[in-house]
Amino acid sequence: MLKKHPIITFIFFGFILFLISNRLDELRVYQGATVAVYAIGIASLILLIGYSGQVSLGHGAFLAIGGFAAALARIHFDAPIWLTFVVAVLAAAIGGALLGLAAARLSGPYLAGTTLALAIGLPSIANQFSIFGGEQGISFDIGLPPASLGEDFTQYKWFFWISWTVALITLYWLRNILNSRYGRGWRAVRSNDVAAELAGIHVGRNKVLAFTISAGLAGLAGALLAMTISLASPGVFPLALSFSLATGAVLSGVTTLGGIMIGSVTLVAIPEIALAIANRYGSETITTNLPGLLVSALLILTVLFVPNGPVEQMHAKRAKRGHSSHSPVEISVRVGSKTWSTKK
Amino acid sequence: MNQFLDMVLIGISAASIYSLMAISMVLVWRSTRVVNFAQAGMALLSAYIGYELVARVGNFWIALPLAMILGAAFSAFIEFVLMRTLQKHSSQGAIAAIAPIIATLGLLGLIRATIGFIWGHADVQIEPPLSKVGFTFGDTTIVMSPMGLFVVLFVIALMIIVSIVFQKTNIGLALRASAHAPEIAQLAGIRVSGIRTLGWAIAGAAGAAAGILQTVNGTGALSPESLEFSLLLVFGFIAAVIGGLESLPGAVLGALILGLVLAAVQIYISGALVFIVAFLLLLLVLILRPQGFLGSKAGRRA
Repeated sequence: MLKKHPIITFIFFGFILFLISNRLDELRVYQGATVAVYAIGIASLILLIGYSGQVSLGHGAFLAIGGFAAALARIHFDAPIWLTFVVAVLAAAIGGALLGLAAARLSGPYLAGTTLALAIGLPSIANQFSIFGGEQGISFDIGLPPASLGEDFTQYKWFFWISWTVALITLYWLRNILNSRYGRGWRAVRSNDVAAELAGIHVGRNKVLAFTISAGLAGLAGALLAMTISLASPGVFPLALSFSLATGAVLSGVTTLGGIMIGSVTLVAIPEIALAIANRYGSETITTNLPGLLVSALLILTVLFVPNGPVEQMHAKRAKRGHSSHSPVEISVRVGSKTWSTKK
Repeated sequence: MNQFLDMVLIGISAASIYSLMAISMVLVWRSTRVVNFAQAGMALLSAYIGYELVARVGNFWIALPLAMILGAAFSAFIEFVLMRTLQKHSSQGAIAAIAPIIATLGLLGLIRATIGFIWGHADVQIEPPLSKVGFTFGDTTIVMSPMGLFVVLFVIALMIIVSIVFQKTNIGLALRASAHAPEIAQLAGIRVSGIRTLGWAIAGAAGAAAGILQTVNGTGALSPESLEFSLLLVFGFIAAVIGGLESLPGAVLGALILGLVLAAVQIYISGALVFIVAFLLLLLVLILRPQGFLGSKAGRRA
């Protein structure tokens, strides 16, 4: 039943989260909200890297666009919360479409370098315009939770509810779109663009669409991130955020949404673990440097030894043992004596 | 006229350091088909090593070549340990195309954290060994200082050495051959894997020089989160792409173009626009002439 109606799984998961959120203290609730933000951010990268085969090392830039757009909409137009999220998605998606038009012509390292350049430069660009508030940034205040939820309903719990509602809806929608003809088209383009083109898939359009959707989702994550911190500033979206998201995507496995919780929980847990270790040894250098060290080491180890992510690894193992795994999409085209196939 | 002279001098100083960075990226790209995004991190590490050497030895002129040798050794070590393992393990699936990119990213983080552990997050200073006050002719002072002049001359000397090695020696021939056609080079008796490591080593030395010269010619300050080094990476990458990512003269030409354009923007328009212009230049080159100005059409296959 769960396989047939995935929406039940999603609702069930949401219900469990609801139960959990009532039992946790403030800090954990806040971290829970961050997990949801990372989940959306990582999902946007999985769509881009694993499905459409384009790399972005600078997705933090789109999170920044989303966060700033939401905050500006809130400050200047007093937009309701849901509308600020819509604005964030649209703004980041427009940015993504513009870059995507250039990106569709680029491949591998060129695209990676261009997006990296964007992520490095965007904060300094944001500093130039007073509308973005310089180093201090601008506040993004969504207001107190509705009174009807009771008196002891805290602000962070409200963030948690919003983030997870948005995250679950987004992931459900993304899951569907990845299983639709768009998802198949992206995978076909990634595996072999010549074969895909011969099969009637418009390669360029597909890539731009993937980039646009991915950027839009990243913008949504950015708005949620700005919400949980109540601030949109260059410091909220540092270069390290882009790297964290890439790490999360690789840890989760870029070819499937199934492992997404692995990446997002790890990203939130690592600073916590580092803090615990640092407290034990009572050293400040450990507190500041250990998270980066752990994240990077994990990233390298994953790329070296579990390159396709733990979930895919399990699938591969099961397939080896004789259980049937989900079959990959395969398109092959024969012209004369030559065959192009998406199957490697 | 004076402004124009300033622009040319600033542009050339900047271009000399960009070109070192671009050359190290091109060398790595040619030998292993990887754009090394950790290059800035490796340059930063070399600059810290240079700082440590200056403090211990007390002489910048000994510390600079020593740091370059150590940078080369570290770079070769990375190729030997990380890149070779990577080639063995993740050569298939969706991840194959991006695994090297992600790995260099992880390396960048690792290097930064390590620097933080060893030297802390506060700025450290390398004292410039030469004066940074511009030369004076009569009553006009130009922007070129003894330090800046040394940087330019040193880079030109390095370029000459590199081109002699590449054009006149057997090792250079092996380097060119294995970049051009690895399989055929292997059949001709060249140990391609060793040559790859060598390519990384030269790149490491060039990156180390770029890192140290950038530091002493700039503010002299080093920190693990240095934006200067991130920008150095970006500008080096842009210069390499303008030149076609394949060719060493192209990298130098790209660095000159980038340096002069950015200097012109800085002097005639506004320093705030430098990054935007650089980014637009990158996009423009990638869209109009993705093979670069000196690259061949087949060069862009990755």
